[in-house]
Amino acid sequence: MNAKHEDDFDGREDVHHDDEFDGGLLEEELRGAAAVLDPVPAELRRIAVDAYALHDLDARLAELTFDSLVDAIPVRGVTDAPRMLTFRSGELTVDVEVTAQGLMGQVLPPQPARIEVLGGPQPAAPDTLTADAMGRFAGHVAPSGPFALRLRTGGEVVVTEWLRA
Amino acid sequence: MRVLTVPATAYDDVPYTRGGAVDRADVGALVQSAVDGDAAAWKALVEGLSPLVWSVVRAHRLSDADAHEVYQTVWFRFAQNLGRIREPQKAGAWLASTARHESLKVLKSLRRMTPTDDPQLLDRVSEDRTPEQSVIDSEEAAAESERIRRLWQEFEELGERCRQLLRVLMASPPPSYQEVSAALGIAVGSIGPLRQRCLRRLRARLDARGAL
Repeated sequence: MNAKHEDDFDGREDVHHDDEFDGGLLEEELRGAAAVLDPVPAELRRIAVDAYALHDLDARLAELTFDSLVDAIPVRGVTDAPRMLTFRSGELTVDVEVTAQGLMGQVLPPQPARIEVLGGPQPAAPDTLTADAMGRFAGHVAPSGPFALRLRTGGEVVVTEWLRA
Repeated sequence: MRVLTVPATAYDDVPYTRGGAVDRADVGALVQSAVDGDAAAWKALVEGLSPLVWSVVRAHRLSDADAHEVYQTVWFRFAQNLGRIREPQKAGAWLASTARHESLKVLKSLRRMTPTDDPQLLDRVSEDRTPEQSVIDSEEAAAESERIRRLWQEFEELGERCRQLLRVLMASPPPSYQEVSAALGIAVGSIGPLRQRCLRRLRARLDARGAL
């Protein structure tokens, strides 16, 4: 890290030399270098192609409306605070808490639901949780990596926005 | 007062075919076809916009594991939101912005959990050999390989913001300034001048080393 002093982006003294230097060629060389040294991993490309299966027009989308990582002020010294998430779709709210021990939460207004924990386009057998009459649910497997919850409740299917745990 | 002009290389209004994968003008149509059930259109979107998403994630210096997860999260969410994207022709900017926000979240959680994390540990080029790398491994190409390595090394040692900007610009096909703006949270109008500045700095470093 020897070049922090180069970070001053506000100086514009050299804008007027643009004609003398064609950066396009150098940019093109960098693009070529990136293709060799840091390309998109092939397996990731495949996963993205497979992700088309997640396109589900029938399910209602529950949007992320609160994420403790972004919206909460961290408590000094507390380094393992649970991740608190809230998703909302119309009247339906899903509160989720992710800890190392697992995942728990509540569907509001309180109602029973079947909840699948999705981990990607083709999960062999997604973990399934059951929300009780109070809407409470808990699972002992903490999602790692991208995850979404698919809830079936009262004849409706609601899917939470994909998120990285 | 100085008037800043966007260099002639700004390509916002010009459909870009240099990289050959997806003509940016077609993105809106591809999104619409994918919404309508055309898997080939989806695949074309992935082929054309994957390098942009990857570049944004890499620009934020995420570890390999985190970079993989963010990349996937971005595509999963894009699939989920396909029919809800208000301006399908700006899908590239949507992806870039989502990749940026997810990357920033990862950096935030890292800071919270491991305040002593050494960013330099995250700063290495993947050692996996790519097909393209194997091709250039022939003896005649050894010099070319060395040249690329030096170019990359000098790029990596640029100031953080130049390194970020150039890493995003390296996506293939080249991103529009609108996409770069979404990827880095900087104004479209400032990208042209910044780009020139950063490329000139890189050029100077290379010249100083007698490389290239």
